[in-house]
Amino acid sequence: MNAPFEGIGASMKRKEDLRFISGHGHYVDDINRPGQLYAYIKRSDRAHAELRGIDTAAAKASAGVVAVYTSADLTGIGGLPCGWQIHNKDGSPMAEPAHPVLASGKVRHVGDPVAVVIAETKQQAKDAAEKLVVDYKDLPAVATVTDAVKPGAAQVHEGAAGNVCYDWEIGDKGAVDAAFAKAAKTVKLDLTNNRLIPNAMEPRAAIGEYDPTTGEHTLYTTSQNPHVIRLLMGAFVLQIPEHKLRVVAPDVGGGFGSKIYHYAEEAIVTWASGKLAQPVKWAAERNESFMSDAHGRDHVSTAELALAADGTFLALRVKTLCNMGAYLSTFAPAVPTYLYATLLAGVYKTPAIYAEVKAVFTNTVPVDAYRGAGRPEASFLLERLVDVAARDTGMDRVEIRRKNFIPKDAFPYQTPVALQYDSGDYVSTLDAAMKHADWAGFPARRAAAKAKGKLRGIGMSTYLEACGIAPSKVVGSLGARAGLYEVANIRVHPTGSVTVFTGTHSHGQGHETTMAQLVSDQLGVPFSQVEVVHGDTSKIPFGMGTYGSRSLAVGGSAMVKAMDKIITKGRKIAAHLLEAAVEDVEFKDGKFTVAGTDRSKTLSEIALTAYVPHNYPIEELEPGLDETAFYDPKNFTYPGGCHVCEVEIDAETGVVSVVNFTAVDDVGRVVNPMIVEGQVQGGVAQGIGQALLENAVYDQDGQLLSGSFMDYTMPRADNLPNIKVGTETTLCTHNPLGVKGCGEVGAIGSPPAVINAVVDALSDYGVRHLDMPASPQKIWSIIQGAPRMAAE
Amino acid sequence: MNRFAYASPATVTEAAAATGLVAEAMVTFDESAVLKAGGIDLLDLLKLELLTPSVVVNLRAIKGLDAITQDAAGNVAIGAMATLSQVAEHPLVRGSYPALATAIAGAAGPQLRNVATLGGNLLQRPHCWYLRSPAHHCLRKGGGHCFAIHGENQYHAIFDNHACAIVHPSTAATALVALNAEVELHDAEGATRRLPLEDFFVGPDDDIQRENALRPREVLTAIHLRKPASGTRMAHLRQGEKAGFDWPLADVAVVLAIGPDGVCREASVVLGAAAPVPHRARAAEQALQGRHPGEAAAGDAARAALRGATPLSLNAYKLALFETLVRRAILAALA
Repeated sequence: MNAPFEGIGASMKRKEDLRFISGHGHYVDDINRPGQLYAYIKRSDRAHAELRGIDTAAAKASAGVVAVYTSADLTGIGGLPCGWQIHNKDGSPMAEPAHPVLASGKVRHVGDPVAVVIAETKQQAKDAAEKLVVDYKDLPAVATVTDAVKPGAAQVHEGAAGNVCYDWEIGDKGAVDAAFAKAAKTVKLDLTNNRLIPNAMEPRAAIGEYDPTTGEHTLYTTSQNPHVIRLLMGAFVLQIPEHKLRVVAPDVGGGFGSKIYHYAEEAIVTWASGKLAQPVKWAAERNESFMSDAHGRDHVSTAELALAADGTFLALRVKTLCNMGAYLSTFAPAVPTYLYATLLAGVYKTPAIYAEVKAVFTNTVPVDAYRGAGRPEASFLLERLVDVAARDTGMDRVEIRRKNFIPKDAFPYQTPVALQYDSGDYVSTLDAAMKHADWAGFPARRAAAKAKGKLRGIGMSTYLEACGIAPSKVVGSLGARAGLYEVANIRVHPTGSVTVFTGTHSHGQGHETTMAQLVSDQLGVPFSQVEVVHGDTSKIPFGMGTYGSRSLAVGGSAMVKAMDKIITKGRKIAAHLLEAAVEDVEFKDGKFTVAGTDRSKTLSEIALTAYVPHNYPIEELEPGLDETAFYDPKNFTYPGGCHVCEVEIDAETGVVSVVNFTAVDDVGRVVNPMIVEGQVQGGVAQGIGQALLENAVYDQDGQLLSGSFMDYTMPRADNLPNIKVGTETTLCTHNPLGVKGCGEVGAIGSPPAVINAVVDALSDYGVRHLDMPASPQKIWSIIQGAPRMAAE
Repeated sequence: MNRFAYASPATVTEAAAATGLVAEAMVTFDESAVLKAGGIDLLDLLKLELLTPSVVVNLRAIKGLDAITQDAAGNVAIGAMATLSQVAEHPLVRGSYPALATAIAGAAGPQLRNVATLGGNLLQRPHCWYLRSPAHHCLRKGGGHCFAIHGENQYHAIFDNHACAIVHPSTAATALVALNAEVELHDAEGATRRLPLEDFFVGPDDDIQRENALRPREVLTAIHLRKPASGTRMAHLRQGEKAGFDWPLADVAVVLAIGPDGVCREASVVLGAAAPVPHRARAAEQALQGRHPGEAAAGDAARAALRGATPLSLNAYKLALFETLVRRAILAALA
């Protein structure tokens, strides 16, 4: 009997869950180093103020305090670097104000770190921090992008006139203007994309440790990309060479983007532990997470679509204001440009597109990539606009989409906004989603709901996104200050088990399972014999980390490349042992076989020979079976699909319930269907959260009102329906696995589907659009502003 | 959080005395001594430093304060230290006061209800994001004005909101006021007094810095409920953004005494999350009294309940919400 199938396509249970669900996960705050001290960060409670002085005497004299540092003490330390430079329309570089590790001269948002207290216990550090006397002179503050660009608005940075970080464009303005001039119909929509707070389950934490005997620093940190932190912090902030700096990101409890970036606390504990020659730990309290983890989204846009009389899209024009917050977070400038405006073609063959994006500083927490990063903003804008176009022109919402889809025989398809899509079949995902969602049966369900006094609506989004970031040369030309390849080291041990070292990082996604399946499948080694190691710069050659659904598409491809090297070498060893020509040796199911014979050697026999090379072609071949590969992707991957949402609204209260949700996604080849389903469900939950509940609320003075779970409404199980997940597959054509990525599709596809359904439910009230979150308050306002339905 | 002494007295009288360590201090709004029941809201307030007491007086070591008992006449007394779970699940409560059980069962989540006490729930501080923000020195904290009135007031009061627009956070209080509950207060000399719960809560017009009538050196020890008259029907409905772990946007308790002839003898209609204290909708009650309640009366009462509301810039949606909940709660009580 065959062994159970464990390879690509099997729903293997997640290896890592045994330790997670039994309480044996090992997170940064679980690590304690001998002689460890504790840091507490004093943060600004002002949105914008001159920092005239900090009296540290009382804090320094406080019990247990070892040191108190302010920006004046951080001599020779660089600011936090930004990893992506955008250029303005006129070719000049963006405004890139200094981002000091501790605020210097001014504080620019509530939560801006102003001092650090280091003490023998956390409580002593916190008590002493209360004794710091900070002399602020309050300055006027701005919290929203619309306020920040008004004439006379408070200026966040001297080097950014009018609070503008950059004013960027993409596309052919002339072609778009010409198309609008002769269009039969045009549609215009103003919309905002609400500001979100990521709220990973594990708050950020960091421990710095210094070994004076070796001069080596170690940083344990809650990071999605330890090598990038080593690079940024070592080279730009602390000037520590890579060989003297180890960064460890152990088990990490969720990131959603917020743990990509290099944060001040990482530099502070690393620097302070060197200065004090004692380990220093910092762990965020939840309220610090709200005011110091990078936030997401926060766009205000105007979108216009030009259509021919038959509903064919002719041109798209978009103008977006986006909030950068008070400083540039690591990848912030790229999010509303190359991860947003380049996606504005969506799944449609719109021939001309022009987008202007103005990024703006405000006195708020920095904004950066959050699950989906730019692509949810693009899909929300586009999929709302398409629905509004259907409504305004009297076309069917489904037919207008079908009519404008890029047909499946048009790939590779060059969009007018830089990207070239490699594959896709948007009709197949649309058809499958409509079938699973029983779109055809909706009118009966609506009538039944109406009989109960409920307003029922259905909506869809046919979205597309870009993952697997990204070809180094391309992103370099677009302003990235890093390459975006990935690295894998595959070590076949002498007895045939395998350790995989990957530069990607798993913080909940299940990589230890998916990647083990991939290696098990390709090398024919049992799943249980494959171990995946990530998150330690001292173990893994190099890596760029995990974000943008890149781990399998880029990291997995690097593994395939390393495994190819293993197999190539194995064939040579097998040829020697089997006394055959190398070209006659085939590798399949873990065995090297001389073609057409039954003479074969297993991978473990080959491995043993490689490490015990008594009978070995030692003159031509090195011993050992351990290969490393760097894989630089040839293109982005383009997952996409169709999400269908069905809601019921209680017209008397304005409360929305999501009653059905169907997601059919094309994520390329599926390695573990159970994990894909979980990833999609998690993303949809966050998307429904954005659409119905979540909103970061600042008051006009820049105080964060929704700064706790009391006030920031996270979705809970009762807000979510049973989410039906399906996949329809077209393979990525340019990576060896044909995979596209599944981590973000849920958060990208779902918000417009939810809002489209809400608007549909309110169709009797003449509603054309509403912004997220669709709270009872907003729905009530809309119902109030509209004529009542004829029948109550 | 500041440093504080911790007292854990064995009797209520000692506890009341302990809160008086600093004379003239108000117990629930005191800078110097606070009572700790379940400690749920207290911990948040301490962490935010909205309270910086010199003494925390623990009530959990006092025996018998969590008893739920019925006297010979059928009246029920609930000890202030009974947990929300104990109250919601108790047969006496479920049998005679189902609206209270429902109101409590919707509060917070199961883990919190297992620790939070009914007394503590009634005495929790309002859930206003300006009040709870250390950055906003609002009227209630001794500052110059209420930030909510011209600010982000979508969750705030629609009645009695011209000075301070907090809403009372307790859904249990909504139900208990509708049930005409009384609170029993115990002082440091061992004397007790009883007060209708409705009069126990203090609105901003009466005193901007307090939310209840608890005196210095006084402890809330019990909640008393009269035996419902025969023919009493009741319901509690809430609407939040989430079904659990959330404060309501609106909640409504209705208690109706229906005579054998089907005529409504007495009606209690109370709105929670509508005003700084549980808001008795007298006009709604009058619209029900003396009538055969049904769809028409419920609709009239619901409209009457919102008469005189003064919604703020962002919370007029609550009018529709409350009107609907009042109507539905009356019909649910009758069902």
